[in-house]
Amino acid sequence: MTLVSPTFRRSRSSSAPIVALLLWGLTVFSLYPLIWLVLNSFKTSNEMFDQSWTLPTVWHFENYVTAWNYGLGHYVVNSLFVTSVSVVAIALIGALNAFVLTTMNFPGRRIVYGFLLGGMIMPPEVCLFPLFKILDLFGFYDTYLAMILPYVAFGLPFATFLLRAHMTTIPRELYEAAVVDGGGVLRIFWSIYLPMSRPALAAVGLIMMMRTWNEFIFALTFIESDGLRTLTIGISTFGDALRVDWTVLMAGLIISIVPVFVTFLMLQRQFMGGLTQGAVK
Amino acid sequence: MSRFRSRVVVPYLLMAPALVLLSVFVYVPVIENLRYSLYRWSSLSPTWDFVGFDNYAALLADPLFWRALGNNATYAAVSLIVQVCGGLVLAATLEAGVLRGRLSSFFRISFFIPSILPITVIGLLWTLLYQPSIGLVAQILEAIGVPSLAHAWLGEEATALYAVILVSQWQWTGYIAVLFIVAIRAIPVELYEAASLDGAGKIRQFFAITIPCVREMTLVMASITVFGAVKVFDIIWVMTGGGPNGSSEVLATLMYRSAFRNDVVGYASTIAVVMFCLSLVFGLIQIRLQREQS
Repeated sequence: MTLVSPTFRRSRSSSAPIVALLLWGLTVFSLYPLIWLVLNSFKTSNEMFDQSWTLPTVWHFENYVTAWNYGLGHYVVNSLFVTSVSVVAIALIGALNAFVLTTMNFPGRRIVYGFLLGGMIMPPEVCLFPLFKILDLFGFYDTYLAMILPYVAFGLPFATFLLRAHMTTIPRELYEAAVVDGGGVLRIFWSIYLPMSRPALAAVGLIMMMRTWNEFIFALTFIESDGLRTLTIGISTFGDALRVDWTVLMAGLIISIVPVFVTFLMLQRQFMGGLTQGAVK
Repeated sequence: MSRFRSRVVVPYLLMAPALVLLSVFVYVPVIENLRYSLYRWSSLSPTWDFVGFDNYAALLADPLFWRALGNNATYAAVSLIVQVCGGLVLAATLEAGVLRGRLSSFFRISFFIPSILPITVIGLLWTLLYQPSIGLVAQILEAIGVPSLAHAWLGEEATALYAVILVSQWQWTGYIAVLFIVAIRAIPVELYEAASLDGAGKIRQFFAITIPCVREMTLVMASITVFGAVKVFDIIWVMTGGGPNGSSEVLATLMYRSAFRNDVVGYASTIAVVMFCLSLVFGLIQIRLQREQS
């Protein structure tokens, strides 16, 4: 799958300026809200009220320090922890499923695959209350596990689907040769299939990272202590606390999108490529 | 014995973590919903009254339920038109070859960016943009000389739902467009070459080649969009909470409020079951289409 346009389509026509103008208009619509946010995050509240369009007369970097000191750092750490544990678990368990489904022929294989895939169409929102009861029953409510376990469970179907699609392209002779050589199943998985699935793993990892980092409804419902909150939820608490100090709030919003933003810009090709293999939203 | 072990025990053992996690955290909750919906109970009261289908009858008689369902439908309809149709046109325009490659990829990334932002950030950002006093929307209206058109967009019953829907379109259209771009790139270039030798313009090529060739992708996108519209929660919850006065209520916000605020759990589960049935239909369509595609 290439992300480079074939040269043929690059023939320019007379309508190009009009098309470009329309697209620039849409770009403004797409990005201006963010630019507006960045500009105002450097102003004082008064300046923002007077003129929210212009560049700041004085750049108030201290808004960012104030925002950070409100405790944003803590939410960032929580988000990093929950996201990394969930993503690693999803990728590893998903790869293991995909490996078993592609290499082994066992009774009930189709049913198991259907069971795993079926999870893709179960909306997390629908499971909310029963899930809350189950987590409470196990004593997971208001712990990191209350987020991690459901994230992994809901992420696995997609990961399995995408990784299986990739693993079916790995030549079966490799597996058979390794079996003949006396390699154990887990060894074959670890030293052949896992390294060979790197592109698919990267796609799964990136998509799950975005999804988990931005997850809202579970983090909102299953966590009560402020000390465990992730950034997505923390930022709205922060918003409530700062209803008067708008520009500091804006600085906080910027801080909270920087990690995702940077990751995306660095890896956008892989990211966009991965999305298309299993359209999800 | 050892043959049985390697053929049956090993695969199931290796998949045990996934099977357990999915059972406990995905499938059991879905089934529990069905059971809960047959009782009248709250998380505080110890008694469970079996009421059969009373909750369903109550739901069908609840005007708020119909209003929420209607709002989900509006959300779905607008999203289909803007995200799916608009996204396709946008993708085709970016791929038509009238722009330089670098410019086209700049546009693609710009349109995609809103979809990677956390929902609470989007919610707060647009709440600020919609603010009647400082918001960008009000200032634009003032700048073009019609300040009287400014509203408290999120605070008025007539506009709240549409104001939120607009934000969703802002967030997702570029994302859908990127998925279409990849589908368009899979179309053989020869088709376009032949068409342009025959003298067909770009617009003609769009209707005659692009649309038929991305038909399946379009159906997948449409079912994803409708699936998303059935379960939409977060953007509504952070921007209006379903208000004012239920005007932007959707099924998921109604369910959330019933379960966690009003403590009528049986009723909330009934709404969840309805959402489940609706998403099952669109989800199955999506899986079928995706299988056919790959």
